[in-house]
Amino acid sequence: MEMVSRRRRHVIDLDEMTAAEIEEILELTESMKEVLAREIKQVPTLRGRTVVNMFFEDSTRTRISFELAAKALSANVVSFSARGSSVEKGESLIDTVRTLQALGAEMVVIRHSQAGAPYLVAQHFAGAVINAGDGRHAHPTQALLDLFTIRERLDRIRGLKVVIVGDILHSRVARSDLWGLTRLGAHVTLCAPPTLLGPAHFWTATWPQISISHRLDEALEGADVVMVLRLQKERMQAGLLPSLREYSRAYALTPERLERLGAETLIMHPGPMNEGVEIWPEAATAPNSVIEAQVTNGVAVRMALLYWLAG
Amino acid sequence: MRYIIKHGSIIDPARRVATVGDVVICDGVVEQVSELADWHADNESIGDDIEIINARGAVIAPGFTDLHTHLREPGEEQKETIATGTLAAARGGFTTVCAMPTTRPTPDTAAVVRHVQALARREGHVRVDVIGALTQGCAGKALADMIELSEAGCIAFSDGGHPVADAGLMRQAMTYAAALGVPVMTHCEEPGLTRGWAMHEGIVSTRLGLAGFPAAAEEAMLARDIALAELTGVHLHVCNVSTAGAVALLRAARARGVRITAEVTPHHLTLTDRWVLGKLVPHETVAVPAGPPPPPASSRKGRRSAPPEQIIPSWLDPALLEPYDTSTRVCPPLRTQADVDALVAGLRDGTIDAIATGHAPQARVDKECEYGVAAPGISGLETALALVLTLVHRGEMDLVNLVAKLTEGPAQVLGRSPATLHPGARADIVIFQPDQAWTVDASQFASRGRNTPLHGQHLKGQVMLTMAAGEIVFRRDHFGRSGEPRRATSRLDGFLD
Repeated sequence: MEMVSRRRRHVIDLDEMTAAEIEEILELTESMKEVLAREIKQVPTLRGRTVVNMFFEDSTRTRISFELAAKALSANVVSFSARGSSVEKGESLIDTVRTLQALGAEMVVIRHSQAGAPYLVAQHFAGAVINAGDGRHAHPTQALLDLFTIRERLDRIRGLKVVIVGDILHSRVARSDLWGLTRLGAHVTLCAPPTLLGPAHFWTATWPQISISHRLDEALEGADVVMVLRLQKERMQAGLLPSLREYSRAYALTPERLERLGAETLIMHPGPMNEGVEIWPEAATAPNSVIEAQVTNGVAVRMALLYWLAG
Repeated sequence: MRYIIKHGSIIDPARRVATVGDVVICDGVVEQVSELADWHADNESIGDDIEIINARGAVIAPGFTDLHTHLREPGEEQKETIATGTLAAARGGFTTVCAMPTTRPTPDTAAVVRHVQALARREGHVRVDVIGALTQGCAGKALADMIELSEAGCIAFSDGGHPVADAGLMRQAMTYAAALGVPVMTHCEEPGLTRGWAMHEGIVSTRLGLAGFPAAAEEAMLARDIALAELTGVHLHVCNVSTAGAVALLRAARARGVRITAEVTPHHLTLTDRWVLGKLVPHETVAVPAGPPPPPASSRKGRRSAPPEQIIPSWLDPALLEPYDTSTRVCPPLRTQADVDALVAGLRDGTIDAIATGHAPQARVDKECEYGVAAPGISGLETALALVLTLVHRGEMDLVNLVAKLTEGPAQVLGRSPATLHPGARADIVIFQPDQAWTVDASQFASRGRNTPLHGQHLKGQVMLTMAAGEIVFRRDHFGRSGEPRRATSRLDGFLD
């Protein structure tokens, strides 16, 4: 296991990661959580190492989470935010990365609106690259913290029924969760309006073990975990949905659905939430909601990844 | 100057013949084609103005015609010029290229056409035919000066890669073109279905989270254009067909007598959307590259005893690429294996007339960026022959038919006399070794566009010499100069029926 971790240089998605590697990171997360529970929430593990957070897309939460993770490991951390793609800015992503390398960056964390951007960065950067979300493609740290949170509460992943509901088509979280959950043996059901999913076989060809549904009430039968995805208001403007009201009726986690689920089913959301659109406040704050725990665990998972890659 | 090309396997697709023999070229035209036994030129009796080219084991064919080349000049000389583009053409065995009008300015007036023609005469290495703009600025808003353009010598009208979204305008353009007797070349794309597209919409785009260009976007527009061609009686030429559905539409239209022709690119005939995954492993299959199917039983024995250079794998391996490699972004996008199979079948049965490269050179800055914003296009002239020869090496197409799709087919689309090697024909000639293994090195391209997903791939089939109007415009490594035989003619067994 050690050997494997030494060889992997980047974490861009979970698709290339073995179940053993994922388990290893989840175990490391356990120890990092223990660090964060101390009075002095800092260890010297990455002292003198330089981490740069490049956020080409707004995300206060993820950026702060990565910053806190790097600081808890005593790394020198610098963050910058720049909106838009490199083309819009007139500066190439490759040039930015080369500059950071020349400035001494050893690890970069990248959030970008274009799918695949972290692979481009990885080709031009000698250090480690961590994907903090690229377009609709992947969000591996979110998937890892989801896995960690589920296992923390339910003690296992294998055999669980996990329902992911919402805007699957545009969701990098859904894709990375699919890799992580299926690799660790969960049964995943995707539930979305037809326009926010696309043809079922586009998904089942890559993830043959999963189920697809357009009816939330059917999908929720026997669910151990429900992951609710954020609905971007732009989807309405793009004509992908008839109305928000109808979407909420058909796909939101409402108090009625919450009641039918029972108290054992975990409720998750990657944030930020549109309360009253895809999830009702009653569901978000229910005793079986682990949405806040996801945020807390996010820091520990990112510490684990930084440590794992720094090897 | 007289050239005697000796001992080649002569493929004359116009006459569907393949024979071993000699071709004599004198003053820019083919003087004589003879069976091997008939010509007894003796080295010692040859004067200074005669050169003997030893083509033993190689194929001699009419020079290729590319119906679809972006030469980028005027306006985007950082991507390509007429000089570099036509040199790339010569290296790829093409002796005629049809220049797409999406330049800056576009050839929507005779003055621009004459400018391009003059540049081509002065700096071109091969013949350049100009495709006129269909609409002003290829912007799809108002008709270009089509009468003037046809008088200036435009061989077709097109808006290049820009679809004409307005069906009414397309109808008027086709009506004009029909009266002028000039074909309209269309790029079929319904823009309402392709907003923000990055690649083919399907399994791979879903996995990679890239916005899709569905097959239906091509097919919907093709169906419209076929209906308009029937309405106006124009000769419609469909550029870069890429889907199985489009092949079916073409087949049906031809069957009921619509004046329609079509071309397909080498990359759409051989590569799929799986190439965008690069080295990522598709989930459902663990072993990545599918090798070629086993050779037919008749040639199997011969292959086993073949010299080492022959067993270098000639199939293509997408795992050489990084994921999201922008060199795989092309318009229309690389489709699925089912589409590839349908395209090959359509090419074989004549539904598709021609292979055209769609040569679209791009500057480095246009490709060294995020996938979704990278400029689409593949620099294709210098790999076209080797790429389509994979179809021959896999036994999916015979060599004579393949050569016809690069020579005879495009000539028919343009309404020209058949490309041929009979005496009196203009000496546009290519000599290639269908078996020669090589590794693609984009940095060695004559084209300024180094954008190819094939960099580093092992291909088989190399152009050795290209002659345009009787002049050698490209020659690889002193080809044909040495007196000693290079290869046994029996090497071509299995390629020639």
